Amino acid sequence: MSATHEDGDGEGLFPGGEADDGLLADALLEEELRQAAAILDPVPAALRTIAVEAYALRDLDARLAELTFDSLVDSLPVRGEETPPRMLTFQAGAVTVDVEVGDEGLIGQVLPPGPAEVEVLSGPRPRARLTADDLGRFAGEAPPAGPFALRLRTGGEVVVTEWLRA
Amino acid sequence: MIAPVRDGTTSSTAYDDLSYTRGGTVDRAEVGVLVQSAADGDAAAWKALVDGLGPLVWSVVRAHGLSDADAHEVYQTAWFRFTQHLGRIREPEKTGSWLASTARHECLKVIRASQRWTPTDDVHLLDRASEDRTPEESVLDSEEAAAQTERVRRLWQEFEELGERCRQLLRVLMASPPPSYQEVSAALGIAVGSIGPMRQRCLRRLRAKLETRGTT
Repeated sequence: MSATHEDGDGEGLFPGGEADDGLLADALLEEELRQAAAILDPVPAALRTIAVEAYALRDLDARLAELTFDSLVDSLPVRGEETPPRMLTFQAGAVTVDVEVGDEGLIGQVLPPGPAEVEVLSGPRPRARLTADDLGRFAGEAPPAGPFALRLRTGGEVVVTEWLRA
Repeated sequence: MIAPVRDGTTSSTAYDDLSYTRGGTVDRAEVGVLVQSAADGDAAAWKALVDGLGPLVWSVVRAHGLSDADAHEVYQTAWFRFTQHLGRIREPEKTGSWLASTARHECLKVIRASQRWTPTDDVHLLDRASEDRTPEESVLDSEEAAAQTERVRRLWQEFEELGERCRQLLRVLMASPPPSYQEVSAALGIAVGSIGPMRQRCLRRLRAKLETRGTT
């Protein structure tokens, strides 16, 4: 590297010069890459807009149900042609929401069991509305591609699941 | 190209510091304030966060080599989820790391899912370059800038031909503004201490490739 990277000024004058050159050259090359990325692979404008508009998704009334089980991460792969349904569990205090998303659609159950209004959120798009029966069970079409969340009104409480990509 | 900047120990000291306090600690302290303001209802602060940290999130997604469709969904998921955690992040100044780590985990899920399921019709998306043309890109297309365009393209080409680990690391490091090593660590799941040496190795490998082709 020292041979190919001769810039001609005073090897002898600065004993540590070579190493310093290296650091400086690294920083310059990294900066050049940064500029290249800004030109060739920037954040797509449409995505920036979506992220800016996502601020409207803030839901101050709802309690957040965090993802506590995800079959994609927490279970062993299943062999076979069939796409196994994705199984998800969310928890907010005493409220648990079990969800299965597969080719058939979306089914789920609220625990403790009880009637609930369920909204399927998918970004800024209009939300699908489902109703959970007395046992807390609900079913609907699979959410459209992209991140989705469920907003449930049950037992006087509003709970919203963490955004997730189905 | 290097000689004019060099002025002995001053510059080398400055660059030494740079490698440890990368990302401008000032920027990142600002992030904490912006998060607080956004949590309190300030939409402009939110927008500033999107502009300041969006490139980092995008870099993380790109570093994981997802298809465009998946990359877009993971990017959105990270920001949507951030809206839910806005008021509850314990260390708001570390929001960059939080976003980077969230994006990384979503990327890993996508990769897992695609290994489990047969990839279907995403193939045609893989090679699609970004369709949004930035003003910079348009400028580069002009005749006067042709030489620079060529240099940028070759740099990018050599970068993309690096090994996977180097490509991942450099793709995250080149986010703008430069990420801190904590953020890089969260983005890639590697120890903070290993980033500096890896960065040096990868940049030098890239430079060697460029020099071989006579680009530098």
